[in-house]
Amino acid sequence: MSSVDALPARGTRIIAVLGNPNVGKTTLFNRIAGIRAKTSNFPGTTQDARHASCCGAMLIDLPGVYSLDLEMSESALCRGVLDGDLAPAGIDAHEPNAILVVIDATNLMRNMTIVAEAIDRRLPMVVAVNMMDLATRRGIHIDLERLGECLGCTVVGCSGKTGQGVDELMAALESATVPNRSAPTDLDAIEAWGDDIYSLVAAARETPVDDGLTDRLDRAFTHPLLGVLTFSVVMTGFFWVIFQLAAIPMDLIDAWFGTFGGWVESLLPDGPIKGLLVNGVIAGIGGTLVFLPQIVLLFFLLALLEGTGYLARAAFVIDRVMRPFGLSGHAFVPLLSSHACAIPGIMSARSVPDPKDRLATILVAPFMSCSARIPVYVLLTVILFPDSPAMQAVAFTSCYVIGVSAGLMSSMIVRRTILRGASRPMAMELPSYRLPDLKASALLTYDRAMMFLRKAGTLIVAISIVLWWLGAYPNNTKGFDPPIGATPAEVEQAQARYHASHSFLGRIGNAVQPVFEPLGYDRQLTIGVLASFAAREVFVSTMAVQVVGSDDVDDDSVLGSIASARRDDGTLVFTRATSWSLLVYYILAMLCLPTLVVTAKEAGGWRWAWLQLGWMSLLAYTSALIVYQTITLLS
Amino acid sequence: MTTSTNPSSTIPLNQLTRGQSGRVQIDGAATDEVKMLRAMGLRPNASVTMCRLGEPCIVSLSGACGGGCRLGLAREIAGRVMITVDSRTDDSHTGE
Repeated sequence: MSSVDALPARGTRIIAVLGNPNVGKTTLFNRIAGIRAKTSNFPGTTQDARHASCCGAMLIDLPGVYSLDLEMSESALCRGVLDGDLAPAGIDAHEPNAILVVIDATNLMRNMTIVAEAIDRRLPMVVAVNMMDLATRRGIHIDLERLGECLGCTVVGCSGKTGQGVDELMAALESATVPNRSAPTDLDAIEAWGDDIYSLVAAARETPVDDGLTDRLDRAFTHPLLGVLTFSVVMTGFFWVIFQLAAIPMDLIDAWFGTFGGWVESLLPDGPIKGLLVNGVIAGIGGTLVFLPQIVLLFFLLALLEGTGYLARAAFVIDRVMRPFGLSGHAFVPLLSSHACAIPGIMSARSVPDPKDRLATILVAPFMSCSARIPVYVLLTVILFPDSPAMQAVAFTSCYVIGVSAGLMSSMIVRRTILRGASRPMAMELPSYRLPDLKASALLTYDRAMMFLRKAGTLIVAISIVLWWLGAYPNNTKGFDPPIGATPAEVEQAQARYHASHSFLGRIGNAVQPVFEPLGYDRQLTIGVLASFAAREVFVSTMAVQVVGSDDVDDDSVLGSIASARRDDGTLVFTRATSWSLLVYYILAMLCLPTLVVTAKEAGGWRWAWLQLGWMSLLAYTSALIVYQTITLLS
Repeated sequence: MTTSTNPSSTIPLNQLTRGQSGRVQIDGAATDEVKMLRAMGLRPNASVTMCRLGEPCIVSLSGACGGGCRLGLAREIAGRVMITVDSRTDDSHTGE
């Protein structure tokens, strides 16, 4: 037998944590690693794993799999790590120095498949029999010593929830050895082997424990009518919390960055450094952090919901609705999340097990109306129906419906062409109902939030700086001719327009404007659309800067000024046809560079991001063109 | 998943009535779906009880799981899993 230390190891010692889904593997991992854990991607894949440095080794929490011998991305990833071909980014990939197999004491027989597959790897190994506390409550007794003899390796009984046996487990990992027994490799033989061991080591009640409450809850939550009703109530609450509760910290962050930017502006002399710091760096960081409360709440609530066991039932309810469009019930949470922001939505598509389902979900997620579109929807619906709040509400709701419909339709097309094949029918374990684990949910949320800040955050700041630079330079008002007899405010406005049209962004706008001419957009609107590539909400402030010379869009008079803005030829910028065309364009267009970057990362290549950009742009352009030309013709 | 030694008592899983139990019968090629279902606990001779009919159907796996393991299966999958009905529960329950 060889110990962990005796194995030749390149770089960091690796302990792979392997197990079925729903065996409490992550709870046990959190108990061992706590806040030291980090999440990293596996290079070249769309998946990530939590890992933590513990007792001189790197523990890697692999995705839960029922078997290593399945054609699923999770199984392939586990095989890659166990073969020594894959490791999370930043860790030198090599064959693990030990495997920690986590099995469920209340599900012992079924878990024997993964144990047999782990034994077959001939690596030092320890088996953690988790959930011992629950097994005891259910009247299941497991002879751990005898199980260790059968498997030929150390077996430790533990509970990730209570911490029972965790110290013993860590000590066992220090001296893990290659099992001195072998296991069969054929599926029938593995099952027979598992049955034999189970009959030797376990004594359980013959009859199932009374789960009448689970039965009743399951029937209610998956009922065609009651299930949908429950689902609607849960989701309404979910959205309410994300939008209403997050608005408070979002406003505070926004106000703080506004004040801080103003303070820095008052301290520094005029010049490029001031512009870069205030309008590039501070505005960019503020623009990133402002989304953090929504993202934190979203992931926290999702983790809580998942912890209760309800989310697995909800996936089944919605599966019936989604399948005709080539999406599975698993796609629901990512698409729901995308209504807050497409970035966490796309990130949460990792929970979709089928690769084609996952890709289709990622591709259509940006069609969902994210919160960044809201300011644009508000502006345009107010312009279109200035005296009718009821019609504004109808138009506003229609924007969401059009977005969802376009997403479902696009998914149907993509699943019948490049991602051909039926959506995988659902077969999933329905975990027991339980109170959610607040600590585990908080840790997961912290992890996800940090990932967002590291990946998307740095990018949003970088893009903001680049767009600021394009919009601010060349800072040259030579040749500006103030209008004769104009008030100081009018001069300021004219100067802002002059600068906007002569900046790099303005020049790009002038060059690109002919492309948007058939949609009814003039130079100013074209600049607004181009600036929206940083983030859609930038459109309103960009328009304000151009037509008013101020970006204080909270001021009603500024919104009024935007609505009555004139083109260079004196005609209205926002005609009825242009406003409808612009509204349709913003519902359907892919106007968010950070989302494109996240799509490329999560889908596993830039070709998917380009496809998403191309398809959404084509759909948005064509639809806006039809809308503009039809309304113009009719009027 | 197919087979039957006694056609009268072997039926697809989705035809079990609520509360009815049976044992999984498996024969034939180990496709990825079969391997997945077997790894999830729907293995030869495993005892299953129908908890909820319809789409999805929910079955409880006893014995292997200490009574706490439930699987939700799309009708399409449940229709491909053959079950030998347990005579003790046969005819004693009606569906939903």
